[in-house]
Amino acid sequence: MSAIEAVHIFDEHNNLLLTHTYTGRPSPPLVLLPLYLQHAAPRPSVLYFPSLHPPTVLYSIVQDNLLFFSPSSGNDTEPLLVLEFLHRVADALEEFLGSPLLASKIAANYDIVAQILAEVADAGTVCHGEANALRDVVETEPGVLNNLLGKVGLPGNAAVPGLQGGGPLAMSGSGGGIQRTGSGLSALQPAQTAQGSAIPWRRNNVKHTSNELYVDIVETLSVTLAPSGRLLSAFAYGSIAFTSKVSGVPDLLLSLSTGGKGAGMGNRGDQLRAVMERTVFHPCVRLGRWKTEGVLSFVPPDGRFALCGYEVDLLGPEVTLTAGKSTYGSLGLPAGVEITVGLGSSGNEFEVRLTQPTTSGGGASIATASLQSNLSGGSGIGSRSSSYKPGVGTGDSKAPSLDKFTVRVPLPTAVRSVTELRPSKGEAHWNPVDGSVEWRVAAKDFGPLGAVLRCTIQGPLAADGDGAGAVLNGMTATTYDYNDDEPASAYQTSDGQEKQSNGVPAQVSREAKVEKSRELMPTSTTLSFSVKGWLASGLRVESLLLDNKKSRGLGPEVKPYKGVKYLTVSREGIELRC
Amino acid sequence: MESISRISSLLETARDLTLEAARDAGPRKSTRPLPVPQIKKLLDSRQEREVLDGLRRIIAMQYANPPQATLTFFPAVLKTLSHPYPSTRPLVYNYLIHHAELDPDTALLSINTIQKSLSDSNPRVRAMALKTMAGIRVPVISQIVSLAIKKGVSDLSPLVRKAAALACVKCVRLDETTRPQVEEYLAVLLADKQYYVAGAAVQAFMEVCSTERFDSIHPVYRRLCRMVVDMDEWGQIALLKLMTVYARRCFPRRIKRTKRAQTREQKVQDFYEDLEPETQPQSSEADYEETSIADPDLTLFLTSIAPLLQSRTSAVILAVASAYLYLAPTTHLPSAIGPLIALLRSPQDIQQVALHNMVQVCLAQPSLFVPYYRHFLLRSTEPPHARGLKLEVLTLIFPSCSPDIQSLLLAELGHFSRSPDPALVRESVRAIGRCAQSPNPTSSRRCLALLLNQLHSSDDNLVGEAMQVIRHLIQRSPTEHRKTVIRLAKNLDHLTSATARAGIVWLVGEFADCAGDEVGQGGGVAADVWRILVKGYAGEGEEVRGQIVGLGAKVYLRWLNERKKEKEEKMDNGVGDELSLSTRTGENHDGEERGFAEDVLAHQPQEEKTTSHPIELLWQHTLLLARYTPSYHLRDRARLYRALLAIPSSTELASLLLLAPKPVPQAPSPSESRRAYLLGSASLVVGEDLRGVGLPEWVEDGREPDAGLREEGGDGKAEYVGHRERGGVGSVSAGERLDGVLAGGAGVGVAKKGGRTLDAWLDEEDGKESSGESEGSVESEEETSTEDESEEESESEEDEEAGLVK
Repeated sequence: MSAIEAVHIFDEHNNLLLTHTYTGRPSPPLVLLPLYLQHAAPRPSVLYFPSLHPPTVLYSIVQDNLLFFSPSSGNDTEPLLVLEFLHRVADALEEFLGSPLLASKIAANYDIVAQILAEVADAGTVCHGEANALRDVVETEPGVLNNLLGKVGLPGNAAVPGLQGGGPLAMSGSGGGIQRTGSGLSALQPAQTAQGSAIPWRRNNVKHTSNELYVDIVETLSVTLAPSGRLLSAFAYGSIAFTSKVSGVPDLLLSLSTGGKGAGMGNRGDQLRAVMERTVFHPCVRLGRWKTEGVLSFVPPDGRFALCGYEVDLLGPEVTLTAGKSTYGSLGLPAGVEITVGLGSSGNEFEVRLTQPTTSGGGASIATASLQSNLSGGSGIGSRSSSYKPGVGTGDSKAPSLDKFTVRVPLPTAVRSVTELRPSKGEAHWNPVDGSVEWRVAAKDFGPLGAVLRCTIQGPLAADGDGAGAVLNGMTATTYDYNDDEPASAYQTSDGQEKQSNGVPAQVSREAKVEKSRELMPTSTTLSFSVKGWLASGLRVESLLLDNKKSRGLGPEVKPYKGVKYLTVSREGIELRC
Repeated sequence: MESISRISSLLETARDLTLEAARDAGPRKSTRPLPVPQIKKLLDSRQEREVLDGLRRIIAMQYANPPQATLTFFPAVLKTLSHPYPSTRPLVYNYLIHHAELDPDTALLSINTIQKSLSDSNPRVRAMALKTMAGIRVPVISQIVSLAIKKGVSDLSPLVRKAAALACVKCVRLDETTRPQVEEYLAVLLADKQYYVAGAAVQAFMEVCSTERFDSIHPVYRRLCRMVVDMDEWGQIALLKLMTVYARRCFPRRIKRTKRAQTREQKVQDFYEDLEPETQPQSSEADYEETSIADPDLTLFLTSIAPLLQSRTSAVILAVASAYLYLAPTTHLPSAIGPLIALLRSPQDIQQVALHNMVQVCLAQPSLFVPYYRHFLLRSTEPPHARGLKLEVLTLIFPSCSPDIQSLLLAELGHFSRSPDPALVRESVRAIGRCAQSPNPTSSRRCLALLLNQLHSSDDNLVGEAMQVIRHLIQRSPTEHRKTVIRLAKNLDHLTSATARAGIVWLVGEFADCAGDEVGQGGGVAADVWRILVKGYAGEGEEVRGQIVGLGAKVYLRWLNERKKEKEEKMDNGVGDELSLSTRTGENHDGEERGFAEDVLAHQPQEEKTTSHPIELLWQHTLLLARYTPSYHLRDRARLYRALLAIPSSTELASLLLLAPKPVPQAPSPSESRRAYLLGSASLVVGEDLRGVGLPEWVEDGREPDAGLREEGGDGKAEYVGHRERGGVGSVSAGERLDGVLAGGAGVGVAKKGGRTLDAWLDEEDGKESSGESEGSVESEEETSTEDESEEESESEEDEEAGLVK
């Protein structure tokens, strides 16, 4: 089986922050680090070093710029188990130390970190994965929790009631609290046993002065467009983050609605399941209710947790490859991107165009107009209802607000420099280190007309001046159709054509130039943005009910404050090829 | 796979970072190091706060980088164990585990205190004490640890029982001789009613016990299967692994050959039919062949793990997929594909491992991945290793796709073959090559056409790669591609990539002979290509020059062979004068060749031989060219050819060397070499055998353990647990229970509950602990009824029980 041998944590400058050994004699972190750094970034998460003694498999994750290592030198381990474990460790640290994790926080709280690390795995056997439940076992000084959690909005204050006084009195109070939780879990108190054991993910004795519930739905876009503008794939990867600050043991019921998608497909649960594909749930969710009714019924852990993950195929399940529907406009995204390469007299310019597909742009470019026509063609589709409505909003669901757009155009390494960057709006710059052009446009500048960026690139010095034809294949003039049945005589004719086309030197040199600079042209471009208050999938939270009958430790009069937040993020998620 | 820290990073922006930074800069509790005596003084203090502060400093010193010496505090730290404060205990225990090995004698001093804590009234204290005691790596105490575990196994609190299960692992590591005792303890713990105890026991079982013996698993098999949904992720993973091995060893694979059954699998096949008409006949044929009859117990396992496919933990999903792949590839595996695809959403580190495993599943059952092809389209932002694996999946599913998907995939591959990244170009061109091996002739022709088009690219790297793949394709079936070779030869006029040119020249030398036959004796395309190339010999790179010389040698040799054959034919015909003529010419040639061989520099023989065949002349010219090539290697090669072909009448050795059929290159999927590794193992990811535990073969029919073991054992265990449970209830008086309630009732929320009657408590406990198990004679019936319950039942049960508390 797989045992965790050790956990090493490095800070953002690869200085060793912490090492915790669980079992055996794992390779020391300072031996592993150089071997790990030998690999070019992005580094694989599983590396094998046969040169070490004993040969070691190194698992690593990067979270908040901290580097987590877990070496394994024994028998075969399960990579996913170890990686998940490392993620859980990061989650647990975050639960106690606040998000994001900072090296200084860990260094200042070694005692807490040590307890967490000792609890999550017992001598290498992973045994305690729930960050929230760890609060029952990890001893923290009251001040620490207050300081750390009070400000990030986690229930630090309420977590340790009666500890504000400080001094020995408070300490004994804390002791009493532990005593309580301890006996709460013993078999002597059935009510609390049930509570403690049936809900392994929730800590005991949760108390909050203000009861609050927040649902944050985040969708990450992953859209790929063919050079023709046709959609190859369009997915929205969603996560529901839930924040529960409710006393006692609340029993919640979260209903989502699809916003009109999948209408006419059985009951609401079926519709929802048709939209939310390949769902994964926090263990607290009752799968049976999801299966039968399509609602999320659960007893939440305290604080913030990932309730559910899902993905939405924005193309819809029934889309075929030839259907005209699969155009970008039909997604209803707030912005589109187009790219034209090989412009200019020598074909060394390219143009990136940001468009706003959903507005009725009067003076829009031809490209936008064509998109418009696509849109009107596709407007009969139900998904239109969920399209983004622009508005200078506050970020709530009625008036979604856009963050600034970033277009990134990676350029081939052969590109020596980008001489001219002419954005019509926003600012653009060329980053020679990673060889890409980055163009930022603020949302307020971005009107219905869209924005254009035109760049001129320069290739390597040697290839610039000389008659490009000399080293060129010169085959662009002929098309080379492969056909088995072609008679032998055809060679002759095509040969003749070739010669003819070669006979026009001027044209060839122009073509050669274009061909030469085509190598330097970008092959793709990506668009990043984030929209608050809008979801690409059109999902909405319909209701969030607190079942007062099933909940425990909560007065019947308690009406928790409920908040919902939607966010759609594209982190280089919209990719256009060219 | 869903990690809250990842979502937070999406939700929170730089604002929070600055906030954090500001706070960190602000006033903090001082962590400035104190001198050793002062820390000792803190530890000796009577005030809990000061002791805690001292301990905290020591722990910080222990973890700090560079680590500071903390061993000097050992006695002082141990002394604090006698304090009654629970807050200091975890830190002391932590210190103790860390330092015990360094100073075993001092560590032993603490054993007594810890043993006392083992009978503390607070189960958490007991659990912690047990955990710490087992964690002290001093072998002398192994028997004490074993005894402590024994006590913990029968503890009332599941917390302690869980700690006992985990302590088993440590105990065996400490001292191998305790293994038999530990196995006994584990057998008891495996039968525990509390799912997290059982989960931990399974984890410990996997660590401690060999997977050869399942004596302790048989009786609890069914119970564990039903419990798996409620266990924590780590228990689930261990159980899935255990049960996969168990099923292989205990359920023989019975295969029934049936005509056709409208099974689920068949329905799935039907579902894909419209997507992939080509493969449909194959799959239906496979359906006809065999239907495996699963043991009902195996079916129980397979169905009870189905809900785990919606786990948030990627390792669990993969473990279920692995169980399905190795136990029921036809019936259950299809349902696991979607969740596997969902792993692509996870962070990059997990995604990479998941992709390796997906490729492995895809190698076994490519058609299942066809509906998800969109997920495997490449993205420019992906790390290179992920791209390679995605390309592999795409090529694996390529043969099962419908034509329009195939064209999309080819367009995709074509696009990436024009990428500026040379590694990606290579990967994608090779992927096209693998696609071209598809059995369907039209699609493979399209692949070839795509590759041939790539030859026109101005990217030398791409052309070189494409040429290599084309060469492989042609080598695989040379007769079909004769024309392709000729057409490639035509490209030599324009191609600049040296690798590609060399490849084409080689191809011409190898495969143009058939064409040569067609055109006529000695001439043919190969000779012509040779002739043209020799003209530009000076301008070629070394690689191409070598190939030109090789081509020349082959053509010349073939020509010699031809001549010889003719000669023989003529001899057979017995035409006298012609014979004499040919012998004369033959002699002449011999003489000429010898002269040539003896003195290459002499130009006279050549000039004399005005009648000699152009091929001969060409060959001599080529040899001359090669002789003045700067490269040693090429000159050596040319010398070798010259010696080989020196005597025109004996060409056997030369034919053997030059015209031998070349082995057909195989281009298997890159992960083909990893096929033997187990799904989910690290070996699979790193591609090397890491001494993993392999999966046993299916047990032979008739040699499996009796199914009755699971049957009666189940009842027996239920009785045992019931007995223990009842004993537990009996040993605690009602008064004690109430005391406990009142003690805990100090809190706000519990005070209300304290007012309830004892009966209510008891009812609830029964409802919780034993799912309706009461006492005596009713018990066995109840137990059998619960056995039939599915996992949905257990959930609704949870709801019910939640409803009990008003």
